[in-house]
Amino acid sequence: MTVTALPASEPSRRVWPRFLTSEHPFPWLAPITAMIVAFGVYPLLYALWLSFFKRNPVTRMHVFNPTWNWEKLFTDERVWGAIGHTYSYTIIALLIELGLGLAIALLLDCDRKGYGLLRALMTLPLVVPPAVTGMMFLLMLDGSFGVLSQGLVSLGLWSPQHPILATNGSALAGVLLADIWQWTPFMVLIMLAGLRALPKEPFEAAAIDGATAGQAFFRLTLPMLSKIIALAVLIRGVDLFRIYDYVKVMTDSGPGTATETLTSYAGTIYFKNADFPYASTISIFTLLLVIVTSNIFIKLFKVRF
Amino acid sequence: MQETFLQRRLRDAAAVVVVGLFMFPLFWWALTSFKPTSAIFDKDGIVWFNFKPTLVNYAVTMLGKSRAELAIDSGNTFGVGGASSYDSRQTIIDSLIVAVGATALTLLLAVAAAYALSRMRFRWRQAYLNWILSQRFMPPIAIIVPVVFMFHYLSLLDTRLGLVIVDTLINLPIAVLLMKSFYDDVPVDVDEAAMIDGATRLQIFWRIVLPMVKGGAAATAVLCFIFSWTEFLLSLFLTSSIRTLPVKITTFVTSTGSEWGFIAALGTTAVIPSFIFILLVQKQLVRGLTLGSLKE
Repeated sequence: MTVTALPASEPSRRVWPRFLTSEHPFPWLAPITAMIVAFGVYPLLYALWLSFFKRNPVTRMHVFNPTWNWEKLFTDERVWGAIGHTYSYTIIALLIELGLGLAIALLLDCDRKGYGLLRALMTLPLVVPPAVTGMMFLLMLDGSFGVLSQGLVSLGLWSPQHPILATNGSALAGVLLADIWQWTPFMVLIMLAGLRALPKEPFEAAAIDGATAGQAFFRLTLPMLSKIIALAVLIRGVDLFRIYDYVKVMTDSGPGTATETLTSYAGTIYFKNADFPYASTISIFTLLLVIVTSNIFIKLFKVRF
Repeated sequence: MQETFLQRRLRDAAAVVVVGLFMFPLFWWALTSFKPTSAIFDKDGIVWFNFKPTLVNYAVTMLGKSRAELAIDSGNTFGVGGASSYDSRQTIIDSLIVAVGATALTLLLAVAAAYALSRMRFRWRQAYLNWILSQRFMPPIAIIVPVVFMFHYLSLLDTRLGLVIVDTLINLPIAVLLMKSFYDDVPVDVDEAAMIDGATRLQIFWRIVLPMVKGGAAATAVLCFIFSWTEFLLSLFLTSSIRTLPVKITTFVTSTGSEWGFIAALGTTAVIPSFIFILLVQKQLVRGLTLGSLKE
């Protein structure tokens, strides 16, 4: 490293090589880089490496066998089930949260008194620990004394013989409900930020030209919001894809494997079978799916940060 | 498109109803925490308000009383013993230490890194930013198994420090991008003027720019605190005796029955700090959730 001359005002400081001074980005970025490499990148590579080992269930030793776990992965029906659940969960939740979020944002985008408070209240679900949200909905959806399931029963919409979270078809809907409650406010907030940033002039012009509210929404608001919508969908979609807390807390992947997602399956393999290499394989596979899916989405909708 | 009087009232009503629906689970949760067990598990139907409010659930989870003790206190010798596993005082302390520790460490690293990323021009800047951003999209499950091995080797398994490290890792991308967006709001002229006067980068950062982004740093800290406070998966995998609140609360569901009163009391306690904090940083919340890319 060359030692550069320092300004004459500070002659005493010239002992340091330039890349160690505050003028160079190195000292600013080194600690965070070290942290991410040590606890993020290294474990990721380790997980990939681990996926090339076969666990011997008797000796519990890991033997190098690069294809074993990956072959198992592609023939494992539970993996395919989990992929299906993960995608349907992600897509259904995204559509509902986006639709509701946009509608509620339009509803709350108003300067009259009291709306500020309503918008503030709307953010509260976001900061409830997801595990607590899961418990909350577990209680409310309980078959015999849950307030929501009792409500549905008394309205004649649900039969008391089938507890929502213990029935194959509805368990996923129950878990979705918790997610929708918690994360629709996320969409509301982002859509509100988007709506607030819209220019006023096009709407004034449209009003003068006699456009209806519907026309203004579909021809002006929606196209102008499209970038923000794509960004929100991407961020939320990636989070939804690794859904774990609600599934673990509310159904523990059940009944059977009806709500098993990729992450919760990896968790089960880890905790119940202690098959660390296979759990790593599923995790790496989940990551690959996230990368591929989100990149397709980014290309398709031209998302920019 | 002016709204008529009727349209205005309709909108008000719809807004209140919608927000009310979203508030209902929180209300029900808080209500449950004051119910005696008999009112939670009522076979005849849902108990709304016709119960005698009790603080037993808080006494057991927050004060570490056992149910037998409480029964004797109230002159009732017919008690149930062995409630000590519901004592959550240590859990709350541990959760606070982990969340505050992770917030401090995240801020320390992110405040410096974001400054360089906002102010210095170097070759791999955009690539480096994208790399940080990509960390946010990595599912924690992808690294958890090796992290368990590593922590076992480093004796960090089941320690608060271990949780601080992983929570920091999860928080870093958000914190860096958020802080960068706050630095970007400060005009570069400020730096340049100081530089002409002969100030070093460190002096500019510490004396001039950092004080200007204090508010942003506070908002970042709050969001980091909330993310660490609510984190579940990592602490489930990495701890067994030290439990953070979200993990502890799930242990109240047992095969012999769930203690819903205790769960509700602890759950209500768990959301209070987040609620207070979030109302303080309403304005910056959108930025935080969108990695600093949206301004409000």
